Amino acid sequence: MSASSEGRVAAEASITLVPASRFTIEQLTAAYNQTRVDYLVPMPMNAARLAEYISLYDVSLDESVVALDGPEMLGLAMLGVRAGRGWVTRLGVLPAARRRHIGRALMDAAIANSDRLGLGRILLEVIKNNIPAYNLFVQCGFAPIQSYAVIRRPPGPPAEAPEGMAEWLDQPAALALLGRRADQTTWITENDSLARTDHLQAMRVRLADGSAGWAVFQEQKFRGLSMLLSRLILRTEAGDPHRVGRQLLAHLYRRFPDLDTQVENVADDDPHLGALQAMGFFESFSRIEMHRFSPSLPGARA
Amino acid sequence: MPNILVVEDNADSAELFRRVLSARGFTVQHAPDAETALQLALDSHPDVILLDLGLPDADGQTLATWLRRIPELNRVPIIACTAWPEETARQMVVAYGCNGYIRKPINVARFADQINAILAQGQA
Repeated sequence: MSASSEGRVAAEASITLVPASRFTIEQLTAAYNQTRVDYLVPMPMNAARLAEYISLYDVSLDESVVALDGPEMLGLAMLGVRAGRGWVTRLGVLPAARRRHIGRALMDAAIANSDRLGLGRILLEVIKNNIPAYNLFVQCGFAPIQSYAVIRRPPGPPAEAPEGMAEWLDQPAALALLGRRADQTTWITENDSLARTDHLQAMRVRLADGSAGWAVFQEQKFRGLSMLLSRLILRTEAGDPHRVGRQLLAHLYRRFPDLDTQVENVADDDPHLGALQAMGFFESFSRIEMHRFSPSLPGARA
Repeated sequence: MPNILVVEDNADSAELFRRVLSARGFTVQHAPDAETALQLALDSHPDVILLDLGLPDADGQTLATWLRRIPELNRVPIIACTAWPEETARQMVVAYGCNGYIRKPINVARFADQINAILAQGQA
């Protein structure tokens, strides 16, 4: 973290901000979980999951910030760093420490670090209806860009029989398909995030009428056994996305009828959303992606 | 009295559940994460599982899916315990084969009765 962002918060002289790299993953995990204990969607993590999260999403602990009051950790904000962009994530303040402007101080420090690194744009996601957080981000200069849904499908066979044949592909082929994407994605669904994901697979379908598409997904394992499908991405190369999407999902769940599925960040204008719903997905909750362009960096919006 | 496996990552909540349920005669085991829960369930075959849907290693829905796939555990009643909104909680319970749900924060005075009522529904 920069020297400029390390120091006392004007609002409360007892609070200091220090780089997250001063703490162990276990300490950061404990603090993170405590900040979420009263959330509607707490999303707790263990140390292994947080370490994986930090690695997959290029979180820099040197540029991430922890708020302290003496030795006590009161809150944290993590900063992911990629070419020209930053991503604020895991922001939280302990329930007992709220209303002391600590969240604002953490955000200011993360923004200052992003600006110092010359990142023209900062992204973040906020759960829809988390009004205090949304308002904080607006005050910090962020504007809403897009809504995304986190969706689930419980185990079960497909609602319809698949047509044609599916071609099942390995991780390198999956990454090659992802490389074709030209549309905007979120931090956690972009190729930099997926490139280091374990057990990524893909499937291609071509239908008799010439329709075609592909799906990329992760088969997560627990104790060596398949547990969950995640990181599902559907794309239509030819034909109607609703029809192609249904067929991709029909093939997927004929092969994996016993697995639960969770998919993060499906855009509310994704052309496959109807197919996902028709094949048994329902929304768990929604997020709003917000961006802030650095006013000090000319051309940041380019 | 029933042997209940409480799957709850929050230590304060788990302790509250243990005190309330022990006082009503339940034998309480506690698992703070999905992996421990799975092991305890396999080892002890609880009479009922109280399942927090937000766990640090795998979420409760996924754990419920797993438990339902294990023949010796697939008939154990699972009661979800969640702060999700009512409609979402109901949807999750039906979709993931749980026997019922209890919204957080719990009502201490009614908690054990709520569990017994869900168990009684399953026996009816």
